[in-house]
Amino acid sequence: MPNRSEIEALILESVRQLAEDFEINALLTPTADSALYGNAGLLDSMALVNLIADIEEAVSEAFDASIALADEKAMSAKNSPYRNVSSLTEAVMERIAK
Amino acid sequence: MKIIVITGTRKGIGKALAEYYLDAGWQVAGCSRGESSIQHEAYAHFALDVSDEAAVIKMARTLKKQFGKVDALLNNAGIASMNHALLTPASTVNRILQTNVVGTFLFCREMAKLMRRTKAGRIVNFTTIAHPLNLEGEAIYAASKAAVESLTRILARELAELKITVNAVGPTPVETDLIRGVPADKMAALLARQAIPRIGDVKDVINAVEFFVRPESDFITGQVLYLGGVC
Repeated sequence: MPNRSEIEALILESVRQLAEDFEINALLTPTADSALYGNAGLLDSMALVNLIADIEEAVSEAFDASIALADEKAMSAKNSPYRNVSSLTEAVMERIAK
Repeated sequence: MKIIVITGTRKGIGKALAEYYLDAGWQVAGCSRGESSIQHEAYAHFALDVSDEAAVIKMARTLKKQFGKVDALLNNAGIASMNHALLTPASTVNRILQTNVVGTFLFCREMAKLMRRTKAGRIVNFTTIAHPLNLEGEAIYAASKAAVESLTRILARELAELKITVNAVGPTPVETDLIRGVPADKMAALLARQAIPRIGDVKDVINAVEFFVRPESDFITGQVLYLGGVC
């Protein structure tokens, strides 16, 4: 099972690549606190869809784990797991651990 | 090499579609609940239930590793049950909805992720003329395909930004297991409601599917094409 910093690094790289593709300058050097989606987020829904798919693929390739980030828990959560890099890291960790 | 995913390839239309695309030089990834009935070097088989989310995700991950992308998806897998509504158990309703609606949705979702970077993805779903003809005895089957049609139209909009087209083909009865057991008089009455009153051939279905899949059809999405002149 990968540790938190490994997963966070993978997510940061996915965000950075997405920021390049979608020309989102504020996310070119993302950190754990970078806001992604929601109130302060910089991603529109299409960028979020791409990021989620990118992360699922990256997790599969790096850790050989098949996860779905858009599950029931994510849909019903009071605080969206997509709001920032840190919350996404938590969400990935929980799903890999299942 | 182009990669096409076809669900329900063990027999019938799905198997014929797989063989058609193999002959055309595509890499085909097929699936069914059981083992493969196709032996071909460019054919990869996955034994799974299309409504099993974890299994569909696992198949998508394997395709990503093996081929890096998917170019087209044919959501052919489907089940029917001809019965009067008052004699239809809930278990049958759930089974049909799981395979026809949930299965179609899961494959659309997971394969669309693998089509993103091709900028030319093609999804063809399968509906039925039982829906527009409101066929008695087909309430749940037709309702499940009505859901597939709605899914097709909405996904066409949601996936347009990813350059993925989503269309549906609605075959007439074709000589497959799906219609075996339908009484002859019922079949004759059904065919009489088509503008072209003959039973369909697998070639008719392949022709319609290929129309949506070919590169020139990149301006056609959200459409439902019924065969036999049903409208």
